[in-house]
Amino acid sequence: MSNEELESQLSAMFDDELPASECELLARRLARDEQLRARWGRYAAIGACLRGEHGVRLESPLASRVSAAIKQEPTPSASPLQASPGRGFMTPWMTSLGGVATAAAVAAVAILWMRSESPPQIAQLTPAANPAAHAPAVVAAPATEVANATVPTAVAATARPRQPREPDSYVVPAATTPGPVLMAPTELANYIVAHSEYSGPLMRRNALSALVGGDSPAPQLTAQPIPAVVTGK
Amino acid sequence: MTADASDLSLVQRVQRGDKGAFDVLVLKYQHKVVKLVMRYVRNPAEAEDIAQDAFIKAYRALPQFRGDSAFYTWLYRIAINTAKNAVVARDRNPVDFDLDMTNNEESYEMQGRLKDSETPEALVLTDEIRTTVNAAIANLPDDLRTAIVLRELEGLSYEEIAATMDCPVGTVRSRIFRAREAIDGRLREVFEGGLGRAEEIG
Repeated sequence: MSNEELESQLSAMFDDELPASECELLARRLARDEQLRARWGRYAAIGACLRGEHGVRLESPLASRVSAAIKQEPTPSASPLQASPGRGFMTPWMTSLGGVATAAAVAAVAILWMRSESPPQIAQLTPAANPAAHAPAVVAAPATEVANATVPTAVAATARPRQPREPDSYVVPAATTPGPVLMAPTELANYIVAHSEYSGPLMRRNALSALVGGDSPAPQLTAQPIPAVVTGK
Repeated sequence: MTADASDLSLVQRVQRGDKGAFDVLVLKYQHKVVKLVMRYVRNPAEAEDIAQDAFIKAYRALPQFRGDSAFYTWLYRIAINTAKNAVVARDRNPVDFDLDMTNNEESYEMQGRLKDSETPEALVLTDEIRTTVNAAIANLPDDLRTAIVLRELEGLSYEEIAATMDCPVGTVRSRIFRAREAIDGRLREVFEGGLGRAEEIG
């Protein structure tokens, strides 16, 4: 290739009018050839001068300062732009999925950890897991009392008294006003959570919302299993 | 032909570890970046410092550049953000410009900066370059002058220039190249010969 042809290509490349295939070769040469690079720099100065960029120094040490600073920098470690076609499209998806997966994993670990932190409370409230713990309390109550009892009273009778060092429930916030009325939803909520893996998220949320919101599905939920346990014995 | 192909080919080389290719990009865009930064700071020396920071940040971030936009658009955003941050930092921590302080390291740095970029020699050299380029353009044949002005001043593509001048694209490329060569021939003498060359060759 003659010098004139090379310089003509350089001029076209400077204007971004050179075919990509020729750019590859010229870019390689440009990065190594000091004289060619100096010519390239003067082309830039000509353009700046023509555009009347006042205040900008045309013979500035900026490029050499940047070059010296870059030499101290570690070499970039990315793969080239065209190494994988469509990478620009895929990467955001991959990044999003990775983030969601990480968040889900953290949430799952947190839930498992919290559940393992309060096994006695949950086990105590699960009739299937420990029926003996519940049966005597129900049996001890007179039949008329069971029939006529208000829901809070009945649940309070079955509820295990809270120990001072027992951790609070992670489902329902700590009660703001002490009393049997608030105990029932808390214990029921724990019961539901203990069985949450067998129910869908929508159902679980509705049940918990009703409990927290003060609706009264509680009587039916608590009154039904207790006689079954008694008669089973 | 791919738009921005020349910049992309250089960017790819930098991403493969060729630091010389980044020097080429800096040479191409340094004036534009300094001009851009000067919208935020008036002092040319400060603008050059900020431009330098912007180029270094761009180099460090280049592995993340995917080519979704043109390289200059990407660089432009980095330069603007760097300039805005520099202005905020300067406003928070205003530097004492008392140059009589001899024991203060910062004052030495400031004096060095002023010496480096705003000396009469530096200003005269820039004026000489302007004079040389303007004189060279004035001496160009009409077709070459029109082609280079449409390209550099109006930013037209070769195809648009070809349509404007009613000639093939290849002719436009040749005219722009010949115009640049004519100007560069004069400019090289100023760059290599130093001060006073413009008057001698003018």
